[in-house]
Amino acid sequence: MEQLAVTVEGLTVKYGSFVAVDNISFKVRSGEIYGLLGPNGAGKTSTLKVLVGVLEPSTGKIEIFGTPITDEVGAKSQIGYVPEEVVLLDSLTPREFIEFVADIRHLKASAVNAKLERLTTAFEITQCFDTPIAALSMGNKQKVAIIAALLHEPKLLILDEPLIGLDARSSKILKELITFHAKKGGAAIFSTHIMEVAEKLCTRVGIINKGQIVGDGTVEDLRKLVKSAEGSLEDIFLKVTEQETGMREIIRALEEE
Amino acid sequence: MKVSELWRLSSTIYREISFQSIFSLRSGATLPQRGRTSINQLAKRAKTNTLISKIITSIFIGIFGFMMLFASTTTMGTLEPLRESALVGAISAFLAVVLFLIIIMGLQVSTTMISSKIVETLSVFPLTREDTSKVVFLCLIRIFDLPLITATLTLLVTYAFLGGSPLGFLASLLGIIVTGIFALTLTIGLAKFFYSKVASGGGRSKWKTLLRIIFMFVWILPSFGTYIVVNFAVEIARSFTAFTQTFSSTLQLLVIAYPFSFGFLVSFASSLQNISYPILSLSIAASLAYSLLAFYALRWLTRTIRRMGAAGAAGAMRETVRDTIVKPRTPWVGIIRKDLRVASRAPSLASILLLPAIQTVVLAIAFSSFSEVGFSTAMGILTGMSVTMLLLSPTLFSIEGLGSAYTLSFPLEKKTLISAKTTLIAFIYMLSLIVLSAVAFLMGRDFTYILTFGGIQTFSILAASMIELLIIANKYWKKGFSLSNIYAKLPTYIMILLLGIVIVSIPMTIAFVTYILMEQLTIPIFLISVLSEFMLATFIVTREK
Repeated sequence: MEQLAVTVEGLTVKYGSFVAVDNISFKVRSGEIYGLLGPNGAGKTSTLKVLVGVLEPSTGKIEIFGTPITDEVGAKSQIGYVPEEVVLLDSLTPREFIEFVADIRHLKASAVNAKLERLTTAFEITQCFDTPIAALSMGNKQKVAIIAALLHEPKLLILDEPLIGLDARSSKILKELITFHAKKGGAAIFSTHIMEVAEKLCTRVGIINKGQIVGDGTVEDLRKLVKSAEGSLEDIFLKVTEQETGMREIIRALEEE
Repeated sequence: MKVSELWRLSSTIYREISFQSIFSLRSGATLPQRGRTSINQLAKRAKTNTLISKIITSIFIGIFGFMMLFASTTTMGTLEPLRESALVGAISAFLAVVLFLIIIMGLQVSTTMISSKIVETLSVFPLTREDTSKVVFLCLIRIFDLPLITATLTLLVTYAFLGGSPLGFLASLLGIIVTGIFALTLTIGLAKFFYSKVASGGGRSKWKTLLRIIFMFVWILPSFGTYIVVNFAVEIARSFTAFTQTFSSTLQLLVIAYPFSFGFLVSFASSLQNISYPILSLSIAASLAYSLLAFYALRWLTRTIRRMGAAGAAGAMRETVRDTIVKPRTPWVGIIRKDLRVASRAPSLASILLLPAIQTVVLAIAFSSFSEVGFSTAMGILTGMSVTMLLLSPTLFSIEGLGSAYTLSFPLEKKTLISAKTTLIAFIYMLSLIVLSAVAFLMGRDFTYILTFGGIQTFSILAASMIELLIIANKYWKKGFSLSNIYAKLPTYIMILLLGIVIVSIPMTIAFVTYILMEQLTIPIFLISVLSEFMLATFIVTREK
């Protein structure tokens, strides 16, 4: 039976007087990959940061597999998170960092080491394992964050732009891992700007614009929303976020220069 | 490009380095997402912090320089040979102090300068390599401008005030210029050393870890040197003077060692009476040799900055990895292990963690001149030790600010975090007590009082640390925390420290009163009061989730 993995009701996030997320609600079920799409500064990252407990909401009710996020330890134990801007403890090496993550998450050496070997091999990061994170490339830092997020086999994966900086191989592996995670009954919330990826990977998408959800459902549902029988997710996205208006004129003007 | 334009350009680069230097301490913290005002405020704060750091160093140089130069030359007697030796000692000590203070002030920002790839950014602009090099050098001058100007003025004005000669004035000027160049060279050299051996050094083996700790000690030695210099400024000047007076003529070969050569040169240039021509010749030759060395140091400096800046983090060490095995422990041990690992690569953190032990040595030496180390002296030392210990909580908590935009997503309980940091503080305090015992043993003094009361005081320090940590944790849990953050919020920082001081002062005051009224009950009453505090603090913290 499908279980509610994430319940967000009336979430608002404010930075001073600026409202970044304005009273949004959505649900994600187990087995789903939910894509959170939106233009830059729409409120995607703020929403995800609230879900993982990095930011405190101004108002709103959030539950992770039935656990309210006010029970911080209970809720966070079920989440694996990859942030948009990967700034880990840069002075540590990946080994030291992963060890710290394993300490905090009460993981057993026997379980963690077997999984770690598979993941480091899959993401080709073994040779960087004793090099300070500060000296790693952006892609390799991203891989360390992904491994740290998958290590404890979380029920919910929250991935904020996880493909940025990844090479094609790692990107493919990550997408397969997310799909497999959902098939096993887990859930994933995935933010991206790459519409093709969202269209192929996500079960449902939520489009957020100026802090509000302007579209939520499968690609088919969204097509109905914009009253178009065809068109890619990119076209739908540009329509619902009202970014299409005047775009052709701008492109033409740029080409004429 | 004109020098004025390059100077203006260096101002922008300097602002960026200051910003990165301050906020490298909060790397990965949750910076305000919105509102340009907040970011602008952070940038302004970084600029102000750097300026404050420069002003404080300048004040130190001014005050201690004046004290050393003036006090040592006016109290050493008026007989000419004595006065000359005093001048040698005072000038040499002053130059040593300037060297140390400038190095310690500039290390953090210089390390940022080297690691920030700032030259790489500059190379995109239409500037020649020579201009780029000049901009970086001007930037270096901007980092050290106030302290260097203060050092020069302090020496020259005090020298003039003491009635020096024009020739001595010129010799002093040469001495301070050479010292300034040496200070800049050593700062960049140490920053480069730190960056290549400590910051970018990984490695898993115990040998590599040991090597990193040794490198770290080498790197932070100047800071401890400065600390001792600041504490014993006048004593050092007098020791330098005594040194030059008591040594036989053969050992006056000290004249060839920096900074004595400049001390002798200024002294000879001040008074042409009782001149020993061989020593005068040696001092002139040595001073010229050091000036030549300074010239080459300056060339090395400009080349190094340009090269290091362009290379950036690319020069980091790569290790041969045999396996990917990790050894997880409990969260509590994990936090301690992580804190020690982070501190072993961050000099600003490592030096603060080691400060209590160093402070203890300084206090023990200072108090050892007392004929008897009794109850009141012991309490005096303990007060000093306690205040230094209370600085540790904010520093240790600041480590949580690193990468907090990510690590806050971990399922970590506040009480686990607080208990881990408190345990670390207990270890550091124990280390201070061990150091104290060692100093007492070496000096042949009876430090029973200090060790007894110091041992009992542990619980009070832990109680104060727990409460400090709890306040900081509650205040900043959701905002990302850092050392720079807490220094920027000075009233909060002072309030937290004051509360800690009140907590450690209560049992000490009780002990004092008991000692006056019923001496034999001092230890039991003191023990009961510190244990009560400790239990109360533990109770408060364990209620936290």
